[in-house]
Amino acid sequence: MTPEELTRPWPPPTPKPAERGAPPTPVPSAVPRRRLLRWAAVGAILVLLVWSVQGTGVSVGALIDGREGGLHLVRGFLHPDLSAAFLADVGSAVLQTVQISLTGLLLAAPLGLAGALLIAGNVGAPGWLRGSARAGAAFLRGVPDLLWALLFVATIGPGPAAGALAIAVHGAGLLAKLGAEQLEAIDPAPVEAVRLTGTGRAATAVLAIIPQARAGLASLLLYQWECNLRTSTVIGFVGAGGIGQELAISLRLFRYDELSTLILAVLAMILLVDQLSRVIRRRMGAAT
Amino acid sequence: MSVEFPGGVRAVDRLTLRIAEGERVALLGPSGAGKSTLLRALLGAVPVSGRVRVGGHDPHGPRRAAAWIRSGTGVVRQGNDLVLGVSGRLNALMGTAATWRTRDWLRALTGQIPAPFQSQLETLAAQHGILGCLRQPARELSGGQRQRVALVRALLGQPRLLLADEPTSGLDPVTAAAAVDALRTAGSPARPVTVIVATHDLAVARQFPRILAMRDGRLAYDGATLDESVTAGIYRGDQP
Repeated sequence: MTPEELTRPWPPPTPKPAERGAPPTPVPSAVPRRRLLRWAAVGAILVLLVWSVQGTGVSVGALIDGREGGLHLVRGFLHPDLSAAFLADVGSAVLQTVQISLTGLLLAAPLGLAGALLIAGNVGAPGWLRGSARAGAAFLRGVPDLLWALLFVATIGPGPAAGALAIAVHGAGLLAKLGAEQLEAIDPAPVEAVRLTGTGRAATAVLAIIPQARAGLASLLLYQWECNLRTSTVIGFVGAGGIGQELAISLRLFRYDELSTLILAVLAMILLVDQLSRVIRRRMGAAT
Repeated sequence: MSVEFPGGVRAVDRLTLRIAEGERVALLGPSGAGKSTLLRALLGAVPVSGRVRVGGHDPHGPRRAAAWIRSGTGVVRQGNDLVLGVSGRLNALMGTAATWRTRDWLRALTGQIPAPFQSQLETLAAQHGILGCLRQPARELSGGQRQRVALVRALLGQPRLLLADEPTSGLDPVTAAAAVDALRTAGSPARPVTVIVATHDLAVARQFPRILAMRDGRLAYDGATLDESVTAGIYRGDQP
């Protein structure tokens, strides 16, 4: 502090209020402008939300108007169809869904993991190959799985094969991207240690990159299987087999008792696989 | 040669140095003196300005030249650079992977030792007390055991050049002495090995016939003995 600062009185004298007739103190213009902009933004968001709700036709009135249908639905849900014949159908549909999800994973895994190796920056694939793999993976996962299912149903006809292929193609794109992220997240020191011995890119990937990412990749595959299972219940609606096809039929025939049984079966199946996958991941030491 | 990192930090500053084939050299200096960077520059792992030649080959030159240098070099680095998810044995073998044929790959990946390295690996592992650790995943090994696996990895495959960066860090005195001894005596008259050991441990440096000292990226000393005036120059900045 300077001597002047030390001798200055403390607290500093408060400025006197402006005398009547004196020109008002100018207020900084930035504050009201910022407040105005904030209110304008809030208003714009509200308009956007109201426009969206009106566009979709969602209203309490619509729910009241549809109360009869709703009651019919709830009544059906409270009395699921537990007849032996229908349960056998549900069981076979559940099994087919599991088959679709596993086949989808089996086909997606090698394609997706190969793509991941090409995309991952630390593997060091040539630039043109890396760029092509990245674009290919983006295309595969960019097209929704439901659309892939429609395309395969149109190509090879309805059935579980179309579903498995749709899941595989979309899953390969996802696995390539997420797998590359797993590969890039490893400790780079062992990779450099191997590379400094003159070992090539592919050999370095086999020896130092994949072993480090193994648990993460296995966890990713299990997660993809869970996703496949959920997806395979939906793509059945467009004729791609599995329990989704049964759901679509029951829904079209207004058989809500059957729908209830099918939804309970889907829930049980997903919870079971979720639990199984968690146990496997824990045993592998991967994050659950 | 000089090595300058982005941001203008000059890790190695206009260094001129010649090390003959078969020489054993200790590279001494405080942390940040540029020792590790110099070793990395010899393998072409950092960009340099100036001229670097290893066995007449340019590590920053054509890919084949860099591959020749790297495949003939054993490296022990400070810190832990083992692949923790695989066995100690596979880690020890990794330094030789550039020379593997298909059957060697098959053996290595199925938990066996490729035939050309079987007896040498067993001898080296016994010599450094890690024979029992070879089957274990590297994750389960102690810091000292990992360092010894890294040392065996560097010695395996009869390298022409051995670069060791703080090879005794994390080792007890007896094991550290064995590690230094292995580096000092590596090779044979028929197949000489050039050894460069970067260390900040004066006792380790004194065991080598030639001692180079670095400070602030420059060569501060090149001689055979380390007396008080030299160490004062290296660590306190006095002129040695």
